[in-house]
Amino acid sequence: MDWLDAFLGSGMRFTTPILLAALGCLVTSWTRDLNVGLEGAMIFGAFFGVAFGLELGSGLGAIVVTLLAAAVAGLLFGILITTYRVNVFVAGIVLNVFGAGATVFLLRSIYGVKGALADDGIPRLARIEIPVIGDIPVLGGLVSGHTVLTYLAWVLVGVTVWAVRNSVVVRHLKAAGEHPEALETAGGNVQRMRILAQVWCFMLCALAGAQMSIGQLSLFTEGMTSGLGFVAVAAAIFSRGNVLWLAAISTVFGLSSAAGVQINEEVMPPQFAQMIPYVVALVGLVVLARTSKVDQVRIATPQLQAD
Amino acid sequence: MTAAPTTNPTEPAAPAPAPPERPGWRAVAGRQAAAIGYTVVIGLVLASVLIYSQGYAPFATIQSGLQYAVGDPTQVARTFAWGLPLYVAALGVAIAFRSGMFNIGAEGQMYAGALAAALTGAYLGPLFSPAHLLLCTLAAGLAGGLIAAGLGWLRAAWGVDEVLSTLLSNYIVILFCAYLAIGPLRDTTRQSGTTKEVADTARFGELVPRSGLTTAVFVVVVVAIVIWWLSERSVLGYRWRMTGESPAFASSVGIDVFKARVSSMALSGFVCGVAGSLLVTASQGRFWTEIASGIGWDGVLIALVARSRPVATVIWVSVYCVMRSAARGIEQASEVPSELSLVLISAIIIAAAAQARVFHQFAQLRHRLGSLRRS
Repeated sequence: MDWLDAFLGSGMRFTTPILLAALGCLVTSWTRDLNVGLEGAMIFGAFFGVAFGLELGSGLGAIVVTLLAAAVAGLLFGILITTYRVNVFVAGIVLNVFGAGATVFLLRSIYGVKGALADDGIPRLARIEIPVIGDIPVLGGLVSGHTVLTYLAWVLVGVTVWAVRNSVVVRHLKAAGEHPEALETAGGNVQRMRILAQVWCFMLCALAGAQMSIGQLSLFTEGMTSGLGFVAVAAAIFSRGNVLWLAAISTVFGLSSAAGVQINEEVMPPQFAQMIPYVVALVGLVVLARTSKVDQVRIATPQLQAD
Repeated sequence: MTAAPTTNPTEPAAPAPAPPERPGWRAVAGRQAAAIGYTVVIGLVLASVLIYSQGYAPFATIQSGLQYAVGDPTQVARTFAWGLPLYVAALGVAIAFRSGMFNIGAEGQMYAGALAAALTGAYLGPLFSPAHLLLCTLAAGLAGGLIAAGLGWLRAAWGVDEVLSTLLSNYIVILFCAYLAIGPLRDTTRQSGTTKEVADTARFGELVPRSGLTTAVFVVVVVAIVIWWLSERSVLGYRWRMTGESPAFASSVGIDVFKARVSSMALSGFVCGVAGSLLVTASQGRFWTEIASGIGWDGVLIALVARSRPVATVIWVSVYCVMRSAARGIEQASEVPSELSLVLISAIIIAAAAQARVFHQFAQLRHRLGSLRRS
C-alpha cells in the first residue's frame, strides 16, 4: 500500500495551493469581482516566499512578510477595480501576464539566474509529523507529514463555513455583490467590501504560491504554478458558493494533479498524466453546464462596445 | 496633457452625459492625443525607474534600446518580423471578443496551428511553394478553428462558459502537442521536443535581407484587411457585434445567435491557428515544444486593451513590437532583463484601462484647485 500512501500524501500537498487559492477566489465571487488573476498572484507568492526566505532565513518569517506584501498588492488591485473602474477580468488577465513576466524580471535582475533559483539558504517549511496517526497506513499519508499551510487551509475551510452562516462580514461581502444599494442604505461601504475581498484573495493566493515554492520544495522555478491558479478558478466556479463543495472539488483536482506526477511513464506518457487535472476540470465544466438549472456564475467579462 | 479633461468642470461629479453630442474631430483627436501621451509618459517613467534601479542611466539606455529596435531599416524589419504572428493572433482574438465570445485559448490554438503547419510542411511535399504554403496555412487554420469551434459550440448549445473552457483548453492542447513532438513525431536527429524540419517550399521567402522579415507580411496584411472589413463593414460582422452587445436583442431581430457564436469562435480559432503556422513557415521552420512562448497570451491582452477594434489592435501590436525589441536592445546594452517589456506592457494596459477615471480625477483636482484660488 506504499503507493497509495505516497499518492494520497502527494494529493494532499497538491490540494493545498488549489484549495487556498479557490477559497480566496470564492470571496471575490461574492462581491461579483471574480478574480481570474489567481495564477499571477500565486507566482508572486511563490517568488516572494523564496526571496524573503533567503533574506530572513526562516520559512515562517517569509510567510508573514509575503502575506503583508500580498495584502498591499490586494489593496492596490482592489482600488484599481473600484476607484479606477478597471474591469476586473482585464485586470486579472493582466495580472497573470504581469506575474509571469515580473517574477522572471526579478529573478534575473536580483539573483542573476535564469530558469530556477535553488540555494541552500532557502528555508523549507517544517513537515508536521503527527504521532500515532502518522503510523497508520493510508490515514497517515492523508493527515500527517504536511506543512502548516496544509492544516491552515483546512482550518480556513471550517472558518469560511462558519463565517458564511454566522458572520456579518460575509453578509456584507455578499450584499456588496448582490444588492450594493441595499448595503449602502444599511450603512455599509460597498467599495470597502470589494477591496477587502481582493485583499483576502491575494493573501490566500500568496500562501498558495508559498506552499508550492517553500512548502513542497525549497526552490523557485519560472512558471512553477503551471495553471493551478486556473484550476482554482474552476474549483471556485464549480462550487457555486458552497464551501464544502469547494473543498471537495479542490481535493479532486489535487488528487488528479498528484496522479499526473505519480503515474508511471510506462502506464501513460507524462504529458497525458499532466493533462488529467485540466481534463477533469473541463469535463466538470461541461457536466455542470448540463446539469445546472440555475444561471451559472459567468466570469465578469467586459462589454467591449464603443464608449 | 492639457487637453485631457473631457468632463464639464462645473459638474465634476456628474456621470457621463447620457446623449453625448457628436464631438468634432478636433476634440476627438485631442482626446486621442492626450490618451496616447498619457500612456507613453507612464511607460517611459516606469521604464526609467526600472532601468535606474538596476544602476543604469535611463535616458541613454532607452535610447540605445530604441536604436536597436528602429535604428535602421533592417532593424525595423527585424522588429516587425517577430510581431507578424502576434498581429494575426491579436486580430483573431479580437474578432471573437467582438461577438461577445472570449477566446482565451489563443495560445493553445497557436500551438495546434504551428504543429499542423509543421507536419504539412515536413511530410507533404516538396510542392510548388505557394500551394505548399497555402496548404500549411489552411491546415493550421483548421486545427485552431476546430478547437475553438468545438468550445464555441459547447457555449452556444449547452452554455458551457467559454472563458473557462478556452482557458483550460490551452493546457490540454499544449501538452498534447508536446506529447506528439517528444514522442511519435519527434525528429530523432535533433534534441527532444522538435519535429522534422519543413521543406523549403513550405517557408516564406525573405523580404528584407538578413532581417527575418518574410513575404508572410502580405498574409498579415490580408488577414488584417479581412478582419477589419468583417468586423466593421460587413453584415456578418454586424450580426456578430449585435450578438456580443445584446444576445436577446440580436435573437429578437432574427439573428441566429447560435450560429453567430459558433462561427465567430471558429473564425477566431482559425486565425489564431494561422498565427501559429507563421511561427513555423515564417521563422522557425519546425515545431518545438515552446514555440509560441506566450504570444497567444499577449494577443489576448492586446485585444482586450484595444477593445477588439481592428485598427486599435494593429496599433497596439506595433507599439508592443517596438517595446519588446527595444527591451532586447536594452538587455544587450545593459543587464536589464528583457522581461522589462512584459512588465511595461502590463502597467501600460492597466494605466490605459484606468485612464478615464484618472483623467476625471485630474479634472476634478484642477477644478478644486481653481475654486481654491478664486476664493
